[in-house]
Amino acid sequence: MMNAIAVRAQAAEAPNTREKMVIHDLSFYYGDNKALKNIDLTMHERQVSALIGPSGCGKSTLLRILNRIYGLYPNQRAEGEVWLDGENILRPEQDLNLLRAKVGMVFQKPTPFPMSIYENIAFGIRLYEKLSRAEMDERVERALSKAALWDEAKDRLNASALGLSGGQQQRLCIARTIAVKPEVILLDEPTSALDPISTAKVEDLIDELKQDFTITIVTHNMQQAARVADRTAFLYLGSLVEEGPTSQMFSNPKDRRTLDYITGRFG
Amino acid sequence: MTQHIVASYENELRDLGRMVTEMGGRAERLVADSVKALMKRDAELAERVIVGDKSVDALQRDIEESAIAMIARRQPLATDLREIISALRVANDLERIGDLAKNTAKRALALDSDYQAQKPLRGLEHMSDMALEQLKSVLDAYSAHDDAKALAVWTRDGEIDAIYTSLFRELLTYMMEDPRRITLCTHLLFAAKNIERIGDHATNIAETIHYLVVGEAIADERPKSDTSSLTKMSLSR
Amino acid sequence: MDRYSRRLARNKMWLSLSIGAAAFGLFWLAAILSTLVWNGLAGLSLSVFTEMTPPPGSAGGLLNPIVGSLILTTLAVVIGTPIGILAGTYMAEYGRYDRITYIIRFINDILLSAPSIIIGLFIYEILVVPMGHFSGFAGSIALGVIVIPVVVRTTEDMLLLVPNQMREAAAAIGAPQWFVISRVTYRAARTGIITGVLLAIARISGETAPLLFTALNNQFWSVNLNAPMPSLPVVIFQFALSPYEDWQRLAWTGALIITAAVLTLSILARALASKGVEQ
Repeated sequence: MMNAIAVRAQAAEAPNTREKMVIHDLSFYYGDNKALKNIDLTMHERQVSALIGPSGCGKSTLLRILNRIYGLYPNQRAEGEVWLDGENILRPEQDLNLLRAKVGMVFQKPTPFPMSIYENIAFGIRLYEKLSRAEMDERVERALSKAALWDEAKDRLNASALGLSGGQQQRLCIARTIAVKPEVILLDEPTSALDPISTAKVEDLIDELKQDFTITIVTHNMQQAARVADRTAFLYLGSLVEEGPTSQMFSNPKDRRTLDYITGRFG
Repeated sequence: MTQHIVASYENELRDLGRMVTEMGGRAERLVADSVKALMKRDAELAERVIVGDKSVDALQRDIEESAIAMIARRQPLATDLREIISALRVANDLERIGDLAKNTAKRALALDSDYQAQKPLRGLEHMSDMALEQLKSVLDAYSAHDDAKALAVWTRDGEIDAIYTSLFRELLTYMMEDPRRITLCTHLLFAAKNIERIGDHATNIAETIHYLVVGEAIADERPKSDTSSLTKMSLSR
Repeated sequence: MDRYSRRLARNKMWLSLSIGAAAFGLFWLAAILSTLVWNGLAGLSLSVFTEMTPPPGSAGGLLNPIVGSLILTTLAVVIGTPIGILAGTYMAEYGRYDRITYIIRFINDILLSAPSIIIGLFIYEILVVPMGHFSGFAGSIALGVIVIPVVVRTTEDMLLLVPNQMREAAAAIGAPQWFVISRVTYRAARTGIITGVLLAIARISGETAPLLFTALNNQFWSVNLNAPMPSLPVVIFQFALSPYEDWQRLAWTGALIITAAVLTLSILARALASKGVEQ
């Protein structure tokens, strides 16, 4: 077990991993309230980065900046830079729809669209590509397989997605997200609303997905972060307190506040 | 340090530490008594040590149970995890120390009530005083989470080893001088080995304390001055 | 009497009052319905649906007012529903946080409860007078104006009920806003919006006052929107007030037909709404 941790620690620190998203001096305001304070953080390619911290620390806020979904609401603004493959996605000219095709998001509450399972997956694909029926069938199957849902769904592709269980619905949302072939996947507490078995299936999925995608996950569950993430960042009251390889963050963190939080002494 | 949000967690950790401290106290007493029994040829004391080892074993089982339950239930991280793992390791070492004290007491029983072996006995007493001192020191360091004290114990292990080596030679010489002394000296040899092992276990505990406080194992090699395994004595004069 | 028995007594008193009030209301409802059914059924026959309104003294039916009502209602819905749905969509989706939406909602609520006779008078002034004559066209516009606030209200309410997470989920895949609205939000609110339209239809089916100033009435068969058009409510008004028995009988039958239609629509709306809730 120690060996596996060491291997992962090595991978997390390997200097050759490409930087996928670089957050520089990022601040965020809800009206006049400064919710995020000058964050500097890097997400490496094909690694899982976890954001942990007590309620209200800003981790979900930070995640929602990465695909600019906060823009749907008034009175919220971000200052600073977020570089994705060399482009600052916070600039006004950024095409939001293209950004969101590259950076997908899965939310805490599973939200299948009120359509069939097939249509749910095809929805996103149709935005960008014109495919024949056969090609679309293949893409849907591939997305569902990758989300470990194909076996359970293949006999009821045309049934309403609302008939699936909670865990299945969440995996459907994951399938829907990966069907449009993003490069980064953002997960906002993806298993908070799920039972332990579904949670385990989703975590297993994350292990597999990280071979192809860069993943950032926000989680309340410390052990989950310890299990799935290569690097972990601890946020508190809108500031980044500490960031590092998960193995080091959870065995020997440098900051006292991090230690107190992960051992359950506050938060 | 701030308390855990869950009070029962805080209490469980505290109880675990208390059990280890108590186990340490008992092991210390067993070692002291076993050496005294050996020196004074006190058969009654020796018997009490042999029985007393059982309670040390029982404590080790309790500590193990408690630690395993805490790992399963509390999913401890960082300092808490190290605290619990250390308690397990220290309990293991203390249990072995108890066994070694018991074996030394058995040696005391095996010896006749009258025998002469002043010089080796004195050497043995000196070595056991040192070992007891190490044990006491390291148990204090554990309660106080004192890394410096632990490291001091860790380095001093070499001295005990050195004494053991010279005692080894001495006993061999003794045996060579007079074959009637072989029984006595063999028992004393084993007793000395036990005490040297007690010193080693104290050093183990010191290493565990360092891991507990700092979060990493001691990087260096333990100073080894026990060359008894390489000792050769020629039978010819 | 101790406190407990006083409370019991008070409880009984209020309970009896409530039941009494409910029974009172139900009694009158039952009375109206039974009178309607009794008198309406007496005149109900196939000829009601096949023959036109007769002059007093001869036999006839209600064909032209029924057809006229259908035309006016359909046209009103066709005019009013798209405007209502689009306005509701703007208020819930595009302008949700704007001040102007607040103002629109306020005005809409006023319009919703405006007396329909005022709407009739308004259309009279701006359409009938310049045109120089009454027309079915003006009548359907007047009814359309009544439809709009109802549809706006229900559309906005139903759209607001769709959870934001669904919109975010669609946006997060990269769908532009109009795509999110048309493919996802509308689908989610579909049942509610349809219910709203049905309720609007039920509402205008029985409106008489606006039609008096706009479509007036027509004794003969007419599907000409540019001329006065017959409608059931107005015909009932005319026939019921007359001293002729056969006309009065036809009026009762007409009232029964309108009631049956509105009842059916309401039940349909209710059924759809509950199915939507189940989902």
